[in-house]
Formats: sequence, structure tokens, C-alpha cells
Amino acid sequence: MRNQLNQNKNQNSFGLRIPDIRHKLKYLLFTFAFFLFTFNLSAQKQRFPKPEFDTGYTQPTPVTPEPRALAMEYFDVLVLLLVLAAATYFALKSRSRQGILWLSVFTLVYFGFYRNGCICSIGAIQNVALTFFDPAYVISLTALLFFVIPLVVTLFFGRTFCAGACPLGAIQDLVVVKPISLPKWLNKTLGLIPYLYLSLAVLFAATGTDFIICRYDPFVGIFRMDAKFLMIVLGVAFLLMGMFVARPYCRFLCPYGVLLSWMSRFSSRHLTITPSKCIQCKLCTHSCPFDAIDFPTNEKEVVKSGLGPKRFITYALVIPLWVALGVFVGAKSHTFLSKANQDVYLAELLIAHPELRNDPDNIDVQTFLASGKPMEQLVSEATAIREKFYIGSMIAGGFMGLVIGMTLLNTVVFRKRQDYEPHKGNCFSCARCVDYCPVEK
Amino acid sequence: MNNQDKLKLSHNIALIAGIFCAAVALLLLLNFWQITKTDPIESKALEALVQRLKDDRNNEELKEEIRNFDLLARKAYFNSQWQVETGAYMLLFGAIVLAFALRVYYAAKSKIEEPEKVLENEIASRIIAQKGIVIVGAAVMVLALLASYLSVNQLKSYDATALVAENETSAEEAIEVINVAPAQTATNEVSEEVAVNETTASENVSEVQSEVASSETVAETPVTETKPAAASSGMTLAELQKNHNSFRGPLAQGVIMHKNIPTEWDGAAGTNVVWKAEVPKHGFNSPVIWGDKLFVSGADNASREVYCYNRNDGKLLWTGVADNISGSPATPPRVTEDTGLSAPTLTTDGNAVFAIFGTGDLIAFDMNGKRLWARNLGVPDNHYGHSSSLISWNGKLLVQYDTNRGGKVMALDNKSGETVWETQRNSKISWASPVLAEVDGKYQLVLTADPIVAGYDVETGEELWSVECMMGEVGPSVGYADGIVVAANEYARMVAIDIRTQEVLWEDDFYLPEAASILAHDGLVFVATSYGVFVCYDLKEGELLWEDDFGSPVYSSPVFADGKVYLMDNDGVMRIYEFSRELKKVGENELGEMSGPTPAFADGRIYIRGEKDLFCIGK
Repeated sequence: MRNQLNQNKNQNSFGLRIPDIRHKLKYLLFTFAFFLFTFNLSAQKQRFPKPEFDTGYTQPTPVTPEPRALAMEYFDVLVLLLVLAAATYFALKSRSRQGILWLSVFTLVYFGFYRNGCICSIGAIQNVALTFFDPAYVISLTALLFFVIPLVVTLFFGRTFCAGACPLGAIQDLVVVKPISLPKWLNKTLGLIPYLYLSLAVLFAATGTDFIICRYDPFVGIFRMDAKFLMIVLGVAFLLMGMFVARPYCRFLCPYGVLLSWMSRFSSRHLTITPSKCIQCKLCTHSCPFDAIDFPTNEKEVVKSGLGPKRFITYALVIPLWVALGVFVGAKSHTFLSKANQDVYLAELLIAHPELRNDPDNIDVQTFLASGKPMEQLVSEATAIREKFYIGSMIAGGFMGLVIGMTLLNTVVFRKRQDYEPHKGNCFSCARCVDYCPVEK
Repeated sequence: MNNQDKLKLSHNIALIAGIFCAAVALLLLLNFWQITKTDPIESKALEALVQRLKDDRNNEELKEEIRNFDLLARKAYFNSQWQVETGAYMLLFGAIVLAFALRVYYAAKSKIEEPEKVLENEIASRIIAQKGIVIVGAAVMVLALLASYLSVNQLKSYDATALVAENETSAEEAIEVINVAPAQTATNEVSEEVAVNETTASENVSEVQSEVASSETVAETPVTETKPAAASSGMTLAELQKNHNSFRGPLAQGVIMHKNIPTEWDGAAGTNVVWKAEVPKHGFNSPVIWGDKLFVSGADNASREVYCYNRNDGKLLWTGVADNISGSPATPPRVTEDTGLSAPTLTTDGNAVFAIFGTGDLIAFDMNGKRLWARNLGVPDNHYGHSSSLISWNGKLLVQYDTNRGGKVMALDNKSGETVWETQRNSKISWASPVLAEVDGKYQLVLTADPIVAGYDVETGEELWSVECMMGEVGPSVGYADGIVVAANEYARMVAIDIRTQEVLWEDDFYLPEAASILAHDGLVFVATSYGVFVCYDLKEGELLWEDDFGSPVYSSPVFADGKVYLMDNDGVMRIYEFSRELKKVGENELGEMSGPTPAFADGRIYIRGEKDLFCIGK
């Protein structure tokens, strides 16, 4: 029955068969990628060529990819736009899971393995945060566009970026083999982690401490094939887990997912399971590996449960307390958090262990001493950074308090729903569910 | 292929791929463990062998064994690394195949599921979720609080101790005035010194003549005693010219007025070597002379010292140690070997000798080695090491302090070390030294750096002019003669500037110096490249007159003396040329030691600092 349904659905209004278009598009994408590889080799020449000493020494690869020619950066933006357009088209218009699948393959190859996972919209959060807090830092237009474009598209069409334009999502999506459904309470509870990660990432970026999203990206090491052993282990662990718990990073870690989720909730043209009217056949109930399908509301049960207005008011009144608690905890933990900053760490290390000045093996200390910077200056800079952390940690703590309070409040809010619908905030628009719906347009 | 075949095939492929991935992963883990255990640099066996070698230094067999072992360990290490990298690719390939096979397998296996009649109880789930959120939220808060109570704010403890100590130290710009002798006494002492000079060195030192003896092609020297008698701590220009008080002599122009300069010697054989004395600590600074005293400095990571020698017999008269200077770094900044910590040449005004080191320590001793004052100018942020030499004029010690944090020039009071003036410069870091130039009876300090060549009023520090024409890491100091400043730098250009109008008279970019300063004198300009070409240009037109390509590196600066030009190369060979518009080599003498500094001159004598020793050349 499903095959027949799919055949019917694959016939578009111009009489062209969708698989033909997909087939052509698939080859088009790979041909395009091939030309891109070869073209970029010549476009990405270094300003000064490396000396050619015949010593057999292989120059180590830098931690981050070498800067790209500006024109190529803009080209990346263009590719992002095209991929987003295609993902949106496949999710909303042609409702093609196959199309999104092949688009994911392309994204994985291009933005993942070819572009080494950099530039990426998730990491761009940090560039944006640093721009706001460090007047000396100027964000590149490309980074800004990579941050903004997916958000804007999500605001109108849902998370089609997650469906086909994010290499981190793509690599996880392709390894989903036998997904298990997690209970809702676990999804909600683990759903707090991305908020925590987001607040810490912004705090560390704003204080100029570190870009933790990039540093602890579990898949970038796989894309570059040069990560530290533990990061490779982490990446492989995520993929292995992802075979059964679909997209674990996207659901329970991704800080950009938080922003996309917010945007997606307002999207007017989001993916729908059924192209027409839901017939309540329940075929789609287990189609979503991400547990992002909301079931119709059982109003009787809701009334019976007592999770009504009373509890809503209680939770709403508690929110300021959560925020206050968060601010207090943030203020208290700023000392601890600021230790992640290299200057603070070094200053405290030298204050606590002045004897390390004579340790030739301590590279951090020796580099500092060789720079000739006076200790007073280091301490003064570290103190300034800690003050930034004081404010930043309070904001981050308050934000976390607000998130906990709002999430709690959300558990007693029931929206009247009669059909099986994708949860706009959590749905990745992967279009798996559309294949399960027997309703024709 | 029917569904059953599909299932079977994908199942088998998935099984093989799974076993393959597991095997590769296991091998990778083993390899990783092996790499962490076999760091070739930390090898205990190698350490034991090295220890054995320390006891038996001449054991060639052992040396060979160490080399072989080292090579083997490194090969093994890099081989393991290659295996890890290859293994990672294989694992990735295996994982892709496994994932694909599993997908096909489960797709083939999948059936249309009958929808569950009883769905998850949302209400119950929400109630559990509430508990979960509260528990997780509270756990995060508690953990953060716990971490905050366990962490110590070390910065506060520093504030409590170190800031008090800092307040106790003098706020007087970290100037440490040790013992300033009364001005009158100091002057008297110098007068006595000079008097002693005249008596002790009279046999060797003849009177300085006001004019340079001309060769066939050499015109009269413009700098004579008839010039206005500008004072330097009571000393006239003529008195400065009797001595060699700074890098490249009086006014740092590389023009020496002394006569009877030797042209033949052999340092190794001892021919025409009056004396030779070892300098305790290494340094690339050049000797400076006042009366019968010669000064150099030396430094290493342990200490920084100033040495005073009797220039007549090479006896070390005193050693001044630059220590206990407020603001001086506990560990010297890292500098390159070819610069060191004591590259800047000292200067003296006859009352005191001044030295600056790569740490930013500036110190003054009187002529008998008594410390007068010392201060730290701030550790210079300089990736090679500070090398700009000092110069003194009219009671002021002039310091060019261009670092990675910006350029500045300052004048300190010779007697107290206090800042008289300080001017920020629109320049980047440089390694060049200041040159004094007389313009219409007034003296200017001419400095070169990236991007400006500029003149400063010696009395006020005011920038009188600047020309944006330099680039790169500027090492050579300018040449100055006949109202023309010549500045150059390798990979940049050579520019001749009219000091009065700032008009660029000519420029050239073929032969450019890297370290050697430019000699401009009486219509000619001399440039020594670091790759061993010595070139003569016409000062006014910039026309290339001659070149001598001897091929050995040169860091020392050419100096005009006694109608000739003296140029020392890094191998310790000094080439002597006639001061002429045509190439005429007068002599080529070997020191028998490597040398980088620029020699100092006195009547009948040349003082050369080699890598280890100080040589007095003469008869």
C-alpha cells in the first residue's frame, strides 16, 4: 500500500517523476562537489608558498583549517542558501524523505568532510557573542550569515536546516538504524542540557576565554581525521549511541538547536505529517525517531490530572525564585568558572605555586616569563576577566533559572490538539513521518 | 534479489563490517596505548644510555648506539602514529559500511506496524518530567555551588600581599638611585681621569687633528674643531672625538678622527696584537673608550655585567653587576642567540658609563665602577632581543626604545636617571641605534624604524620631521653626512633624505643591509649586506660606484678612520678599503675568532671584540 502511495505522491504537477529529478539532482550535486574540490585547490593557495626542503618532514596540520579565500567563503554562504532552499523544498513542497536524505549526504560531504566542519552555524554563536562583548573583535560577514540565515529560514519554515543543511545533524541522521523511543519525561529532562551548554558557550565566548562548542565538537575530529584520541572516542560513541538514540547531539546538546527551536515555534509553514486532513490512523505514531510527534490532547485526562490553572499559577510565581536562585549560584560560581580562562589560570598558578617559575618543563609558565609581561599586569588582566565572569555568570545563572522555571511551567500547559502533529520546536523536518501517512493530497 | 536475499546479504555484510570495526577499534586502542607508553623523548633506556655517556664522554661506540636507539624509537613512534591515522580511516570506512548494511537490513526487515492501542500516558509522563526537571535543575545548582565553595580565589591573595609590597616601593618610576655623587666632585674626578689619560696614554696617543688627511680622492672632512662647541656634560665635541664614546664612535656616525690606524695584523699568530683579554660574559655590544678606559658589557640568564679594561694593557679594572634593579624581571625574556641579552653598545660621557640590557635594565656606573643609579624601562617586548645602543649628549642619555608595544624615544638625566623627556613615536619595533646629526648648529637625534625615519630635538624630544619610507624589521642605523640622512633596510629600500627639506633625493633597492649600519661621509655612502657584498654609492646622486663581493656575512658596521674604511665580517676578517670612489682594497686581516661587534678606535689602535676575547691591535 505504501509503495503505491509513494508512487502517487512522487508524481508532481508537471508530470515529471520525482525519482527522476532526485536521480538527476543526486548526480548534479556530486558533479558539483567534484568541481568544487578541484577548483578550490587552486583558489586556496597560500600567500607565501612553503619552502621545499627535501627532508621528508611533513608539516603538521593546524588545529583549525587554514583561512579560506574570501570569495570561497561567500561561495559557502551561497551553498548554504541553496541547501537550505532544497531542504525546505523537499520537506514542505515535495515532501520527499529521499530528497532530504541525499541532501544530507551532500551536506556531510561538503560542510563536513570537505569544509572540515568549519564554518558552522552552531559555532557561529560564539562569534556573535564575542562581537557583542569585545569591541576589538569584528565578526566576519560569513560567520554572521551562517548564524542568521538558518534562524530566519527556521522562523518561516521550521528546522529544515537540521534536516539537510547541518553536517553534524547529517552524520547522526545517516547512522540512525533502529531508533528507540525515549519516554517524554526523559526527553524533557535531558532537554535542559542544551540550554546549559548554550549559556556556558556564550559566557566563555563573551569573556574571550574559549570557543567550547568548537573545542568539544564530537564530530569535527571525524571530519578532519586528526582529532585527539579522546575526541575521536567521543565522536564514535555519539555515532554508536545515535544508531539507537537518534541524533543524541542535536537533541540533548546542540546549543544552536535551542535558538532554532525558539524560531521554529513561530514558523507559519512548518512540515506537516499529513498533506491534507488527519484521519487518526495512528500509523505515524512511531515514525519519528526523535519523539517529536505530539498526540491529540485527551481533555478528560487533563481535567482529571489536576495539572490545571492552580499549578500553572504556582509554577509561574516560582519562576522569579528560580531566576534569583540562578543569579545567586552564578555569582557564587564565577570564581570556579573563570578558572577556565588561560590568563586567570596562569595568574593563579603562579600565585599559588611561585616555585613553578623555575620549572623549565612548564610551558605555560615559561612562555609567560619569556614574554616579559610583568606579574602585576597578568594579575590585573586576570582580575578584569574575573569581574567579567562575575556579571556573565550571574546572567547565565539567571537564564538557567528562567529556563528551569519555564520548562516546569510548560509541563502544565496543554494546547488543544486534535491531530497527530509534529512538535514545532523539536521536529527536525526530516520528513520520515510523511512516508507513513496514507492520506493523499 | 528478493527480500530474503536482501536480508541475508545485508546481515552478512553488517556482521563482517561489525567484526572489522571492532577489530580495528581494538587495534587502535592498543596502538594508542603503545604511543602513550613509548614517547621517544622520554625513553628510559635512552636516558640510561645518555647517563652512561656522561661518565664516558669519548665513547664513540656508545654515541653511535644512542643515535641508533634514538632513530629506532622515533621511527617506531611515527610508525605508530601512521597506523593510528590509517586505522582511523579504516574504522570510518567500516562504520559507513556497517551503518549502510544495517539500514538496508532493518529496512528489509521492517513491516507495517500495527499502531499501539495504548499510547504513553502523557499526564503521568509530565508529572515525572516535573520531578526530573526539578531534580536536574537542583543538581546543576548544587554542583555549581559545591564547585564554587571548593575553589579558591588566588587572585585575592595576590592582591593582599603583592600590592602592599608594590606600594612600599618608590613611585618614582622605579628609579633606584643608589648613590649619586655630588656633581662637582664627579666633574673633578673626570677631569682627573682625563689628566691621567693624557699622561699614561701619551706615548701611544698623539694629538687629534682637526682635519682628516686627504688621500688623492678624499676631500676635506667637514667636521672640525671649528664647529660650535656643543657640550656633553661639559665636554666639547672635540673632546668626544678624542675618545670613542658610543657605538660607531662620536655622534654614532661611524666617522673616526684618530690617526695611525693599523692596517696589518694577524690575531691568531699574535702579529700586531698589543694585548688580548678574555671577556667573562658574552655580548654583541661594541667597545667604547674614554681616556685609557675601555668598556664592554656581557650577560647571560644568570647575570648582567659591565666590564672596564685598561685599554693600554688589557687589564680588567672593575666589573659592575646590574642586579637588584626594581622592576627587573626575575627571568630574562627569551632572546635569540644572535642577539643575546647585551647587544646594545654602552656609552659614556666621561663621568659615567651607561649600559642597557635585553631585560630593560638601564644602569650607570662612575668611571671607577661605583654604581650611580639603575632603573628598569619595562621589559622590551622584542622577539629577537633589544639591541638599540645608547648615546649621550649634553648631559642626557638618549634611548631609542622601539618594541612590539610601540615606539618611543627618551632622554634621561645622566646624573640621576630621571626622565627628562619622552616622545611616543609612530613606529613599530626596531633594532637600530640613534645617530646624532648636527643641522645648522643644532643637534638632532635621527632614528629609523618601520615605517618612519625621523629627527628629534635633543633638548626637548620634539619630533622635528619624519619621512615614511621604511618597512620590515629595521636593524641598520642611519648614515649622516653633508645634511643628508641615508636609511636602509633589507627587503625594503635605501633612501637618501635631505634633512632640511625632507626631500627624498634618491632611493635604491639593490644592495641592502640587514644589520650593518650605513656609513655616510664626505660625498660617499657605504653599505655592507649580510651576504657579504660591500658597496659604495655617491651620497648626492645615489650612483653605485663600486662593489666588493667577498661572500662572508657581515653584521658589523663599516667605519671611516684615517682615510680608510674598515669593515669586519662575522668570521673575524677585517677588510680595509681606501676611502675612494674606486675600489681599492688596502688589506685583509684575520682575527682568528668570530666577530660581530663594530671595532673601536684610538690613535694607533683598533679595539676589536671577538666571540670570546677583546683584542687591542697596534704596534
